Amino acid sequence: MRQLLRAELAKLASLRGTVWCLSLGFILMVLLSAWVVSSSKFYGDLPKPADTFSFVHRPMSGDGSVVARVTTQDDSHPWAKAGVIVKESLSSGSRYAALMLTPGHGVRLEADFTTDIAGSAGGAPRWLRLTRSGGSITGYESTDGTTWSQVGTVTLDALPWTVEVGLFVSSPLDFEYVQGGGAQGIGIIPTTGRAVFDHVNVEPTDSSTGWTYLKVVPTPTPGQPQMRPGPGGMTEVDGSFTVTGEGDIAWYGIPSFFRPDARDIVSDSLQGVHIGLLAMIVLGVLAAAAEYKTGMIRATLAAYPRRGPVLAAKALVVAGVAFVVGLPASTAAFLVAQPILRDRGVRPPAYPYRSLIEVDVLRAVVGTAAALALLAVFALAIGMLLRRSSRALPLVIAVVMVPQIVGPLLSLDADKWLTRLTPTAGLAIQETTERFDTAIDPWAGLGVLAAYTALALTIALWSLRHRDA
Amino acid sequence: MMRALRMEWTKLRTDPGTRWCALALIAGTLAVSGLADMTTDALDCVPRPCTVDATRISLSGVYLGQIGAIVLAVLAVSREYESPIIRSTLAACPRRDRVLVAKAVVVLAAVAVTAVVALAATLFAARVLLPSRGLWLSLADEPTRRGYFGSVLYLCLVALLGLGVALIVRHTGAAIATTLGLLFVTPIAALFVTDPLWQARIRRYSPMTAGLTPWAGLRVLGAYAAAAVIVGAILFWRRDTVSEG
Repeated sequence: MRQLLRAELAKLASLRGTVWCLSLGFILMVLLSAWVVSSSKFYGDLPKPADTFSFVHRPMSGDGSVVARVTTQDDSHPWAKAGVIVKESLSSGSRYAALMLTPGHGVRLEADFTTDIAGSAGGAPRWLRLTRSGGSITGYESTDGTTWSQVGTVTLDALPWTVEVGLFVSSPLDFEYVQGGGAQGIGIIPTTGRAVFDHVNVEPTDSSTGWTYLKVVPTPTPGQPQMRPGPGGMTEVDGSFTVTGEGDIAWYGIPSFFRPDARDIVSDSLQGVHIGLLAMIVLGVLAAAAEYKTGMIRATLAAYPRRGPVLAAKALVVAGVAFVVGLPASTAAFLVAQPILRDRGVRPPAYPYRSLIEVDVLRAVVGTAAALALLAVFALAIGMLLRRSSRALPLVIAVVMVPQIVGPLLSLDADKWLTRLTPTAGLAIQETTERFDTAIDPWAGLGVLAAYTALALTIALWSLRHRDA
Repeated sequence: MMRALRMEWTKLRTDPGTRWCALALIAGTLAVSGLADMTTDALDCVPRPCTVDATRISLSGVYLGQIGAIVLAVLAVSREYESPIIRSTLAACPRRDRVLVAKAVVVLAAVAVTAVVALAATLFAARVLLPSRGLWLSLADEPTRRGYFGSVLYLCLVALLGLGVALIVRHTGAAIATTLGLLFVTPIAALFVTDPLWQARIRRYSPMTAGLTPWAGLRVLGAYAAAAVIVGAILFWRRDTVSEG
């Protein structure tokens, strides 16, 4: 077998096309990756923290607590929020600490658009309490109002003596994605949250002021379209408050903050792979077609009459060469792309810096090389089957590249199925963020490509055994 | 000239690859167009009115079908170098300009006739398939006619591009990979480009994306094809007939 491998490697190395494919493929893959990230638009200026919510408030001076029981909460959105809040002032964007229930993510303690602490997973009915002591605010939750468990403590420095405390309700936007005919769009669907509170209390008690309702909305920036005032309101019957509201108190760092146009930085850095795919397809097809073009296959099979080991050695050599060239290429592409991204404003808090030592980055970079190797073997198998580059090359390129071009013309569902069912699925190994257009799990995607490769190899072996060379 | 034309036509006609390519052009175009027709959903879209372009959907098979046109054109050149027919060709007709013009004429004629048939079939398929998806395609509409004739012209121009590249590289595999790479790689990478300025540049200058937006874009594709053919012709004129590959 070692002799066989050495023979196959020598044959591949002697092909003039091999050197061309590998060197051009390597260089263009790195260049294309760099070009894709440098011609992408990223926003260097982050939007200011903004909040939109319904606020039932009253002032509280000095240390104290605000307590309420959330008796019901509508499931308007997994990240709808209903709870108690301590806020620096009544203006949007001011500092805060809030303890809340969410229909999908349990109890959360959040502060200042950056801190998020998870409490228990339970929903309504549930008691919530925020206690201020100087600059530190502690959140407690309870199922009965007597046994309290601490959720966490946050520190808000330089909080004024008098703050606004009370109940709040919010429910963020839903997004719907549509595509077809080459056009893509994001539909925005507002949701309205509703929650009922009772046992609402502020300690120490101060009867001089009552509860006031306010819909907090961001101050409009000049030149920007102002958000229409959405639904929201409060009714009180015998100490039971029904509050409706929309919007969210969130920013980068708060998990409910969702950007529909967020990019997958890691896979964006590796988009040069498309030229690498082409190079590996040519490599695989040529390794097979050259044997038939020159009649070398007869010499090969005369020297090693057993078809199985011959095909296995060919596949191993092509896969090995593709991987050995593909890995430095994808590593270089990733490393070249990172400083470019940084220069273009891709930095925390909007996007974390990514490095090669992270597990998912490593999976994407090594996986890219693995996908290239699998695809080269797929092309080799088709080449052995069809014997001529004029037949195999157009077929493999059509199967691998056309779905990616036709996909965006179809509906989103059809596009996803096209990705799942063609060898293109293997590129899912580059993805590190779940997006609306995510078609398949990274490993499952690589599995689809591997299955195609295995199938093509099996048919090629059958054909090699049963047809004349 | 008539002799050169007849010679080239005989060679093209008797190469079994030609028939396969023509068949692939028709079948590929119909298959992808049919798939696009059947999976388009204009009945239930969120930002109304729907922005689905019925002509574009029904003619999307060109993305696949063009491979047939390109391979046909590449083979018409590269086959001659792979078997030493090129020597007989030039012995029979030493005027290389005539050989080249005759070759281009018969290749374009074959691609044009096949494209006319293939695209007419896709439009009729769209007439049948699209109404159930909430779209309507009228054959008399200006956009439909423009799309139809633009696509025929597009297929002729990519064939010419393939012919030019094949004259330059004189190797079947290299010519197919270069031409298809030139057409396919930028549009795929462009899916990940988000800067509107660059998106506009790609729409304007990438041969495939530009070529499929009649009519101004066809000129861009025409320029690529012309450049390839001119360089190829100069090399054909000056180089010896022995293939290097």
